[in-house]
Formats: sequence, structure tokens, C-alpha cells
Amino acid sequence: MDEILQGILKALELIITLDPEVVDTTSRTLMISISSTLLASLIAVPIGAIIHFKHFKGKRAIINIIQTLYSIPTVLIGLLVFLLISRSGPLGSLNLLFTPWGMILAQAILILPLIMGFSITALKGVGEEIIDLARSLGATEYQTLFTLVSEARYGIMAAIILGFGRAISEVGIAIMIGGNIRGYTRVITSAMALETSKGNLELSIALGIILLAISLIINTLLNYFQEK
Amino acid sequence: MLELQGISKVYEEKKVLEDINLKVRAGETLGVIGPTGSGKTTLLKIIDLLEEPTTGRMIFDGIDALNVPAFKIRRRMGMVFQETPILKGTVHDNIIYGPRLRGREPEEKEIKRVMELVELRGYENKDARGLSGGEKQRLALARALINQPELLLLDEPTSNLDPISKKRIEEAIKELKGEITIIFTTHDLIQGQHLAERIAILDNRIMQIGKPSEVFKRPSNRFVAEFVGAKNIIGGEARITRDKLTIIESDDLKIYSSKPAEGEVTAIIRPEDITVSWEPRDSSALNQLRGEVVRFEERGPLFQVQVECGDEIFTIYMTRKSFHDMKISIGSIVWIKFKASAVHIIR
Repeated sequence: MDEILQGILKALELIITLDPEVVDTTSRTLMISISSTLLASLIAVPIGAIIHFKHFKGKRAIINIIQTLYSIPTVLIGLLVFLLISRSGPLGSLNLLFTPWGMILAQAILILPLIMGFSITALKGVGEEIIDLARSLGATEYQTLFTLVSEARYGIMAAIILGFGRAISEVGIAIMIGGNIRGYTRVITSAMALETSKGNLELSIALGIILLAISLIINTLLNYFQEK
Repeated sequence: MLELQGISKVYEEKKVLEDINLKVRAGETLGVIGPTGSGKTTLLKIIDLLEEPTTGRMIFDGIDALNVPAFKIRRRMGMVFQETPILKGTVHDNIIYGPRLRGREPEEKEIKRVMELVELRGYENKDARGLSGGEKQRLALARALINQPELLLLDEPTSNLDPISKKRIEEAIKELKGEITIIFTTHDLIQGQHLAERIAILDNRIMQIGKPSEVFKRPSNRFVAEFVGAKNIIGGEARITRDKLTIIESDDLKIYSSKPAEGEVTAIIRPEDITVSWEPRDSSALNQLRGEVVRFEERGPLFQVQVECGDEIFTIYMTRKSFHDMKISIGSIVWIKFKASAVHIIR
């Protein structure tokens, strides 16, 4: 018990004194997860809007598949991306393995279904009548799509934040694709796994507190957008 | 301005619209009146190119509208839906939405003009979704008008509104009359009569079209007659007598009409054309029928009296004075009479 208390006090000290290792790992984590969320959003939101907007055969099945992929294990995505970007893989020449770029790509793939699926749900909430309204006021098909996304913006923001939450808290990809290289690909989760196994509990707890604080911010934002 | 040629719409084997032929001239106000499910909304959506007709053509300002990009035609029209959705943001955001789609910023005086027309001046910075139902509908009208449409389509714009909001919308429409072409739908006959230059009675097909007074006075078929609330609608077999009069026989009634007709017909006699007396009298009225008073009720300055003659019940309007002078009560046996020229024959 005493050890845990000591650990927490030391962790708080690391945070307050802006320990270089803590700051470095946190800022890298944020950079990688924000980038992967942006990349995934840029792909998922427009595709989600098109899936919602167009009537085609197999639409229901596609939405079902997207929803199934919400809970795909991160290690499975890690393995898939590993095979894709390892030296002998189809994207091997890009040298993405054990780089932050590889991590961004893998995290983006991980959260793509989540952002797409929840964007479709947000768009459904807007209602078909907005489509008729936009068209009747003179919108082209592209402008109608844009209006639809704009009307669902709070729901879509919530989907993006949810995606960010999953990206920042995953550990499988961080280790398998990033390789947990100190000062290069080490992020909060992979650092915590390593430091705990080494017995360096103060650093682990400090990073845990930061992750918890980020979660709290994410949740607050999520609630804010969901209430809109 | 607008011409519909043989427009029909079928949804899952159900005919919603059938052979709609309609011409609307520039500046005209046309009221489309019909019961729920008669295809009013579908008709307006087809005109606004939001729905594709199953068959038919639409000519808008000389252009074959179904064969050009829809948004180009829509940008020349404006539509207000029965329950118009409101976009997120302020009233001002909603107003400038249409002009922005067209890549222009409306001038302040333009916004002022439409806001004044719908009496929403001062509401510009309010959250649009916080407006009342009536205010939202007025905003919808302003949002359509800022785009300077040549044709304005209004789908039951006042059906869910309180009397004050309804009046404001009606006043705005009156102000716009002549300035732009308006087609509005309603199930409110009185509104149709007040606002439109011509009305079309719709029941999946156009049952009658004409000036409101014509349609109300001379419905061309039984549906229109019943829909416009005509009283004394009698069906029977007509033949022409030697005196060149038409006699209509229905079960145990014989009615004379001065309008020539033969075969299965429906006759209408307006309540104000029928008089009541205790005794049959010599008069020019050919139709004199004996019956029993079965009901009466006060309707403003008039009394509506119902007299059963054979199997038919006739509705008659009497002034308060003549009703009291005659001392009529339920069960009174009276004579009703009307001229042969008052018997209007429809299909």
C-alpha cells in the first residue's frame, strides 16, 4: 500500500516538474493519435456520408460489417499492417515498420470503422427531409451531401472523438508496429507496459494519470457534443 | 410558365397521381385542394423535381424540365414544406443558406425585405430551432423567398399552425400574389377560395379546375360536389320530357330540371334555392315535395332545416325570422319547393 502511495506521489512530482521523458512520451502519443484520427476521419466521414446518402443493394450488409469491425482486436490490425508494411510485404518499400508513420496508418485502419459507423448513425439522425430541403433550396448533389454532414456535425464530432479515444488507448499496434523504440515510437501505453514490467512504477503511474486525464477530457467533449 | 403533361406517379403499384395535365401562367396563384392522400404533396414534389414522375412531361418556362440538371430548375423555384425542417444555426444562417449555395451573399436590404414580409424582423440572431411552429414556417417562407423564385410551391403551409401564424402566412401570400407564380396545396376550402385565382380539386387526378366560385357553384362531378360541401346531392335516371324538360327519377322522387340530361346523373340543389311552406302553392316552381322536418339547427343568422322527402333528406337555409314566423318544429309536415332552373346537373 505504502509502495503504491509512494508511487503516486512520485508520479505527481514527475508530472508537475514536467519530467522530459513524460512530456516527450505524452506529446508523441498525442501527435500519433491525433494524426491517425485525422487521417481516418478524412476517409471515414465522406465514405460514411456516401453510404448513407446513396441507395444501393447490399447497403445494410455493408453497415453490418462496419459495425462488426468496431471491436476488432488491435493485435489483429497490428498483424495485418505488419504483413502489409514488413520488408517482404506489398508496402515494404515504404519502410514504415517501426516508425510513427506506420503507427499512424495502423491506428487509422483500427478506428476507421468506428468513425464511419457512428458517422452513418449521426447522419441517420438528421432525417431524410434535410435532403429534400437542401435540394429544394437549390443545392447540387455535392452541396446536399455537405449540408447533410454539416447538420450532423455534432454527431460526427462525437464519432471522431470516440475514434481518438480508441486510438490513444490501444497498445497492440504501438508495440507490434511501433516497436516501442525510446524517443521515437514509444507512446504512453507501450511505455506503461514496459516500465511496469521493469518495476519502474512511478513513471507508469504518471503516464497512467495522464492517460486518465486525456480520457476525462475526451468524455467531457463527447458529452458536450452528444447533448448538442 | 409551367405545364404538366400526362404526369403520373405509381408507388409500389399504387397510383398516387394519374394523368395530371395542368397549365399555370406566370403570376398566377393556383390552389390545389384535396383530402389527405390525394397526392397533393407528391404533385408539388414532382414539380420541384424532388420526385421523378412515372410518366409524363414537365415544361418549365419553355424548358423540358425532366431532361436538364434538376438543380438548375430548382434554383428558379422555392418550396415550403408542410413541416419544413430548420437548419442548425441562427435565423440569419438559415436565410443566407440558399443564396450561398448559388455563390452569392444577399444584401442587407434583401434580408430585411423578406424578414419584414414574414414579420420576423429582429429574429436574425436567434437560434432557429428555438422558434415556435408558426415562426419556423414563416422562416421557411423567408428562406425560400430570398432566392427570388419565379415559382413558389407551398405544401399545406398553414396546416399545423395557430390562427395568428396562419393569418400572417396568408397575408404574406396575398402580398406576393401577382409578383410571383404560386402553387399551394391545402385541404382548407376557405383558404383555397381566399388565396387562389384558380383552384384544382385533386383526388389522385384533377377532378375539376377553375375559378373558386365556379367550382363551388358548379361542381362538375359528385366527388367535387361532396368535397366542396354541396348539400342536396341526388342521384337518379334522367330523361327528357315532351316539354323539353329533364325529369330525374330516383326511387320515389321525381325532380324537374331545365338543364338537358339523359342517363345516370347527379343533381344538386343549393339550400338557398329551396323555400318552405305549410301548403303547396301555385307557383312557377315545378318541384314541390312534401316532407317531414327531421332536424334543425342555428347557423349564425340562418337556420339550417332538414326535411325528409321519401328517401332523401333536403337541407334548406331559412332566415331566423321566417323560421320563427312559421313556427316549425321537429315532425312538422311541410312542403319544399325549388325551380327547375335551380337543379344543377353533374355527371
